[in-house]
Amino acid sequence: MRGPTIIKAEDDKTRSLNKHTLMAFSGEAGDTIQFADYIQANVQLYTMRNDTELSTPAVGNFIRGELARSLRSRSPYTVNLLLGGVDPATEKPHLYWIDYLASLAPVPYAAHGYAQYYCLSLLDKHHNPNISLEEGMKLLEMCTDELKRRLPIDYKGVLVKVVTKDGVKEVDFDNDRIARAA
Amino acid sequence: MDKLVAQYSRPQHQNEFYSEQEQQDLTESVPPLSLKFALPPVDNHASFLRAMTDDLANPSCPIKLAHGTTTLAFRFQGGIIVCTDSRATAGNWIASQTVKKVIPVSRLSRGEDKPTNEPTPGLLGTMAGGAADCQYWLRYLSQQCTLHEIRHKRRITVAAASKILANLTYAYKGYGLSMGTMLAGVTPQEGPALYYIDSDGTRLPGNLFCVGSGQTFAYGVLDANYKYEMSEEEALALGRRAILAAMHRDAYSGGFINLYHVKEEGWVHHGFDDMNPIFWKTKLDNGEFSNVTSAL
Amino acid sequence: MSRRYDSRTTIFSPEGRLYQVEYALEAISHAGTALGILAKDGIVLAAERKVTSKLLEQDTSAEKLYTINDNMICAVAGMNADANILINYARQNAQRYLITYNEDIPCEQLVRRLCDLKQGYTQHGGLRPFGVSFIYAGWDHLRQFQLYQSNPSGNYGGWKATSVGANNASAQSLLKQDYKEDQTLQEACAMAVKVLSKTMDSTKLSSEKIEFATVGKTQDGKIYHHLWTADEIDALLRDQGLAKVDDEPEAGDIK
Repeated sequence: MRGPTIIKAEDDKTRSLNKHTLMAFSGEAGDTIQFADYIQANVQLYTMRNDTELSTPAVGNFIRGELARSLRSRSPYTVNLLLGGVDPATEKPHLYWIDYLASLAPVPYAAHGYAQYYCLSLLDKHHNPNISLEEGMKLLEMCTDELKRRLPIDYKGVLVKVVTKDGVKEVDFDNDRIARAA
Repeated sequence: MDKLVAQYSRPQHQNEFYSEQEQQDLTESVPPLSLKFALPPVDNHASFLRAMTDDLANPSCPIKLAHGTTTLAFRFQGGIIVCTDSRATAGNWIASQTVKKVIPVSRLSRGEDKPTNEPTPGLLGTMAGGAADCQYWLRYLSQQCTLHEIRHKRRITVAAASKILANLTYAYKGYGLSMGTMLAGVTPQEGPALYYIDSDGTRLPGNLFCVGSGQTFAYGVLDANYKYEMSEEEALALGRRAILAAMHRDAYSGGFINLYHVKEEGWVHHGFDDMNPIFWKTKLDNGEFSNVTSAL
Repeated sequence: MSRRYDSRTTIFSPEGRLYQVEYALEAISHAGTALGILAKDGIVLAAERKVTSKLLEQDTSAEKLYTINDNMICAVAGMNADANILINYARQNAQRYLITYNEDIPCEQLVRRLCDLKQGYTQHGGLRPFGVSFIYAGWDHLRQFQLYQSNPSGNYGGWKATSVGANNASAQSLLKQDYKEDQTLQEACAMAVKVLSKTMDSTKLSSEKIEFATVGKTQDGKIYHHLWTADEIDALLRDQGLAKVDDEPEAGDIK
C-alpha cells in the first residue's frame, strides 16, 4: 500500500530460507524486503559454507540477534516476522514469533498486527497440539472469515504456504468466501 | 444593595425545597436533556477532559479514569445472553477485580433486592468505558424507565429505553462522556431485543455485540461459534467462553465472569465466577489454550 | 643455503617447503604424546605429562587436556603458551556461535575456524606459526561422536584413532594394529593406556604422568565430557595391570 492506493494485491510476503524453513514478514515498506533478503542470503551462505542446513531454532536465534543489533543502530529495521520450519531429522515442527523489538518466542500459533486481536482468541479455543494439516487449514479459514467480518480494512485475501517434512509448498486457498456477521 | 438585601430576606427554609427549575423538571414527562453540571471554565470541554485524563498520551495525567473491559451480549432462540468480566483499571493499575458490570435497569419491576433463582423482570444494561459515566447514566435511565412504567402502566420497550439513553449521550456529545453500553430485554412488543448505545450517540439494534478493550477477542470466539438456533446451555457456555478468551488475552479484562440470561419472564443470573478455575478447567478438559505451556 | 628461506613464514623454499612450519612440526614431535580413540559410544583422549615434579601443584595445572565447549574437548601437543591462545580463541568462537544460533557449534566448524587462524600465521609476513597440534574430541547432531587432528600448517582431518607428539609414529602404528571397529568406550580406554605405556619412556605409569578424558553419552542421552581425576586414572591403570607396584613417589624430575 502507498498512501490510499493498493499497489499490488498478490505480493508474496514470505521467503524460503532453506528446504524446510519459511519466513513471513510484515512492517515498514522497504525494510521488510531488505531485511528478509539479508536473512535469506545469510542463511543460504551458511548452507554453502558448511554443507549443512541451519535448524529452525538456530535461524530464529540468528534473526533475533540481527534484529537486536539493528535496533541499536542509527536506522533500525521495522519488521515483524513469523518463522516456521520442520526439522527434517525429527520431523518436529517449530514456529517462532519475532517482532521488530527483537523478541523471539516459540509458540504453537501466532499472528502479527491487528490480526492478533481477532485470531488469537479463536486459536486459543480451537487449536490443539495434535491438530492435523487439514484441521489446521479449517482453522485458518475461521481466522480469515473473522478478519473479513470484523477488520475495518478490506484486505485482498491471503497467500497460504505450508511447511512439512517434505519442504515448503504453496496451497490453494479460497479467498472469495463470503463471511457475514450474525 | 437591593440584591444583597433580597438575598438575605428570603425565607429561611427555601433551600430545603426544590427550586422552580427543579420543580418544572420533575413535572416534565419527557426526560430533560438540559446540562445541569457545573462545567470547568474552559473553551473546549472535550479537549480539556482529554488532556486531564488521557493516560496513553500523558502518563502523568491528573485523573486516571477507570477504563478497559470486555462485555458481550447476543440474541439467540431462547432469549439474550449477557456476559462481562469484572476488572476495573485506571492506567496500568487494577483498581478492582469485583466490579459488577451488568446493571439491572428499571428498579420498580425488580422488586426485592434479595438474590433469587426466579427470573427478575426488567432490562439489563452493561457497562464499558468510564465506570462513573455508565453507573450514573444507567441509574438515570433506571429512573426514567420506572417513571415510564408508572405513567403508562406497562414496561418500557428496549427500543424506547435505548433511545432515551442515546438521546442523552447525543446531547452530551463532545463533552467527553465515555461509555459503551448494551441494553438487553425481552418485551411482549419486541420479543428479545438488544441495542448498542455509546457516548458518540450511536444506537444500533443487533444480534451480537462485544464492547470494550477485549471486544476483538470475544468477537473472535463468538462470531465463529454463534448460531441463533443454539440451546440455552450452548448459549451460556459460548458467552462464558467468549468472555474467557478476552479475559485471557486482554490485560485490561479479568477477574470474575458475570453471566446473565434474559428471557421473557425476566433475567436470570448465572453466576459471578472466578475466571482462573474456569480457565484451567477449560484448558485441561478440552485441550484449549495450548500456548499456555512450559513445553515450548 | 636454507637461511634465505626459513626465516620468513611467507616464503617458499626452492623445494616448495615452508621451513617455519616444518620447524613448528619438529617442535611438536618433542612434546608429550597425546592420542585419541573413537569408540562407538564415546571418545577417549589420553596424554603424557612431561613436566612432573614433587614441587608441582598437580591438580591446578592441567597441561594437555582442555575443555573447549559443552560438546568438545581437546588434547594439546606442542608449546603450551601458543596452545593457550588458540584454546581461548576456540572457546570464544564456540560461545559466539552459541550466542548467535543458541546451539552448540558443530565440531568440524570449530576445528575449521581454529585452522583458519593457524593457516593465517603461515602466510602473513613477520609472524611465527603456532607451535601446536591438537586432537579434538566432540559430539554434534550432524556426525555424532567425532575425532579430529590439526597441525601448525592449518591442516586438519577426521580420524578413528590418532596421536601427536613424541613417538607418534610408533603410537600410530600401535593404534592401527589394535583398533577395532565397534569397540566400546571402556575398551578404547584400555587400549589408550596400553599404547601410552609402550610409547612413554617410563615403563610404569601413574596418574602423575598421564592425563585422561572421555566424551560420552549418559543413560538419558545427554552428552558429557569428563576430565579424569587422579584416582580414576589410577583405578584404570590397576585394572590394566600397568600401575606402579611401588607406591613410593618417584624422585621429582623434569624430562
